[in-house]
Amino acid sequence: MKVDNVKSQMRKGMLEYCILLLLRREASYASDIILKLKEAKLIVVEGTLYPLLTRLKNDGLLAYEWIESTQGPPRKYYKLTEPGEAFLNELESAWDELSDTVTHLRQKLISTIQS
Amino acid sequence: MKKTLTVNLAGTVYHIDEDAYILLDNYLNNLRYHFRSIEGADEIVCDMEARIAELFDEYLRAGHQVVTVEEVEAVIARMGKPEELDGDAAEDGEASGQPADACAEEFQSGPRRRLFRNPDDCILGGVASGVAAYAGCDPIWIRLSLIAFGFFVHEVILAYLIAWMIIPLAKTATEKLQMRGEPVNVESIGKTVTDGFSHVKETFRSEKTQSALYQLANGVTRFLGGLIRILLILAAVCAVPFLLTALFVLFVLAMAAMGMLVSVPAVLYEAVPYIDWGMLSTVSGPAIVFVVSGLLVFGLPAVGLLQLLMQSFGKWKPMATWAKVLLILLWVVAAGVSLYCVLTASFFRLPEHSVWL
Repeated sequence: MKVDNVKSQMRKGMLEYCILLLLRREASYASDIILKLKEAKLIVVEGTLYPLLTRLKNDGLLAYEWIESTQGPPRKYYKLTEPGEAFLNELESAWDELSDTVTHLRQKLISTIQS
Repeated sequence: MKKTLTVNLAGTVYHIDEDAYILLDNYLNNLRYHFRSIEGADEIVCDMEARIAELFDEYLRAGHQVVTVEEVEAVIARMGKPEELDGDAAEDGEASGQPADACAEEFQSGPRRRLFRNPDDCILGGVASGVAAYAGCDPIWIRLSLIAFGFFVHEVILAYLIAWMIIPLAKTATEKLQMRGEPVNVESIGKTVTDGFSHVKETFRSEKTQSALYQLANGVTRFLGGLIRILLILAAVCAVPFLLTALFVLFVLAMAAMGMLVSVPAVLYEAVPYIDWGMLSTVSGPAIVFVVSGLLVFGLPAVGLLQLLMQSFGKWKPMATWAKVLLILLWVVAAGVSLYCVLTASFFRLPEHSVWL
């Protein structure tokens, strides 16, 4: 139970970074993002995404435009704004640092076990 | 056979079963309530609605004609219940911690039961089955004891009528759950809704499994209930002339009150008797008390009737329970006071002989 809790906390922390990362490549609409995040097992229930998207949009990191769709009503396509780009770069370096630290710690642990 | 509705979800029209519609409507309302404190709540729910429409599209493209309860349940499971969206919805860790704790406390102490009248199982006003749901027993026992006691102690009948007036009716699914002391969340609301639809079938089926004694008791209470209902209707018809008289008396008293407004200083007459106020007014204090209490005695039921009428037309909201209790108490006091006034007729005497209540 506790492991699940920590795992979901980890996932939650990464979620915003991953959404921005996905949107850097191409503008996409919510269902596309859901599909990709589900593939990566980052979200369990789809509703999680919507408050996040709205918050990122309200913070000016994302913008959207309505694009006509061949099947059904027009869709909201989200894309990264310039502040979003800067924000993402900062997150990127933070993530690199974090991942470096973790790998470093793990390697140190392995080397001490081996020696 | 099920009734279907047509709904407009994010600009597309869908046929949806009635029970499925109620479940979906509840879900969207719960979402709206959940996100209410967040900036852009409407947008979030709108976007989620659009997603739900998309999922329905997929479902209908697979050859279905109508959105069913099962499909709505599947969609809700996919989108997530409001409480599952909790952590991400909150702005930061501190903010998310507090409501979660509050929720946890509520669940630990168990959902609180509330007293409602039960509209799904009622003979007169649903008071007995509401009390039974509150106490967690079968309504038949409450009904039988009510009838048994009602024969000997007539106050029981009065108590029933007052309870009928005061206890609110459980109208929404949430209130029905609170009545039975069940937790209020999306699944239980959905269950109540679907239960409500299968309720009719169940009562017909379950008749066979009940014991003969139970059936007899049930039959007797239903028969007596029907009898009392007819009596009540007769009483209401007979009350119409009295009601008109009461309205006339109310009018007269209102006129008297107007007259008294002109002579408000009469109160001083009583309070400071050694000054000669005679030149100011001739109306004594007890007379004022009598007219005011009389106004209340006739006016409060009139207001109550008006409220009842407007409520049944859906124009006015039902009164709060404490307000009803207060008004009934006020009426009892006013009735007592005016009765006392009539009996002693103190307002006919001269001020110096009159006794203050």
